[in-house]
Amino acid sequence: MPRSVGKLAVLMMVFSVLLWAGESQKKVSDFSLEDYNGVKHSLSDYKSSKAIVVMFIATQCPVSNNYNTRMADLHKDYASKGVSFVGINSNKQESADEVKNHAKENNLGFTILKDWNNVVADKLQASVTPEIFVLNPAFEILYHGRIDDSQRENKVTSKDLRSALDQILAGKPVAVEETKAFGCTIKRVK
Amino acid sequence: MAGLLRVMSGLLIAVLIAGCVSRSGEEKKISGDQEAAAQTTIEVTKLDDSDLNRLISQRNGRVLFLNVWATWCVPCVEEFPDLIRLHREYEGRPVDVVGVSADFDDEIDSKIIPFLKKHNVPFRTFVASFRRQEDFINGIDRSWSGALPASIIVNPQGKKTFFLVGKGTFDQFKNEIDKTLGGL
Repeated sequence: MPRSVGKLAVLMMVFSVLLWAGESQKKVSDFSLEDYNGVKHSLSDYKSSKAIVVMFIATQCPVSNNYNTRMADLHKDYASKGVSFVGINSNKQESADEVKNHAKENNLGFTILKDWNNVVADKLQASVTPEIFVLNPAFEILYHGRIDDSQRENKVTSKDLRSALDQILAGKPVAVEETKAFGCTIKRVK
Repeated sequence: MAGLLRVMSGLLIAVLIAGCVSRSGEEKKISGDQEAAAQTTIEVTKLDDSDLNRLISQRNGRVLFLNVWATWCVPCVEEFPDLIRLHREYEGRPVDVVGVSADFDDEIDSKIIPFLKKHNVPFRTFVASFRRQEDFINGIDRSWSGALPASIIVNPQGKKTFFLVGKGTFDQFKNEIDKTLGGL
């Protein structure tokens, strides 16, 4: 009897470690970056949101630029529903001024942070623009991937980010947690 | 004993001659393939999932270097001179340098061919024509996010030996191709 209890305890410990390891991989630790005006923002500022949409974007990437209107619309449609949007520019060659002008020209009304040393891109292992991470208030990644399945808006058949947000807001699990699409490589410092 | 030596030398010479004939036949075939690849009139073929699978798995004794690029991708454009040099480097050897464009498959005439002409691209080019873009991305490598450019090298047995996301260099690619070629 004691031996079987011991085995059970070992099994439970192994299971707990595996569960913890699996979860920790999908959780993001807090970070702070400055926006294009030099104002510091932390991920923890958005803790009270129902979901946090972290979007790796670019000023010079044609794919990311094809999504400017869709990103602005998403922000407009979901901000009032308690979803926060944070853009991150991790491209070394795109200056804070360029990011600011680009945001203004394209009516990107959400906060855009400049990730000078790719700290956040490395933390989330982001590699492409546009690339989306949707987090819950505990900073767990609920969705990772594309905005939708076509750069051409009239060819879109799957609005993946909208679907994920609708499911989260409805308290349902996200049906498709991971998607992929072509995009521009994030131009890292090294 | 002297007779046996004569017979053996004769056999050895015959084997060497046969080897040379077969080798020269193989070289002719290779150079024929490459002539077809370096088309005078540029053609871009649509590549679907069964084509990609065939391209990777049915190597007929040849190494595949496949680069995924797009006309809108700056590092891809920067990488092209090295890819052209790579193609020239392996002319006459069992290596296929192939490009796959990630532009839309209805942009062959409007964007892809003008780009290939402008850059004098001599190697065979396809355009990804998949119902789901994700299937192409995973078909190249399951760990690939879709960031361009990306390159793979496949050995003659259809096994991937190299995968790179981002811009590579001539020396880097040549080193990897040479390793994959081994004794070929």
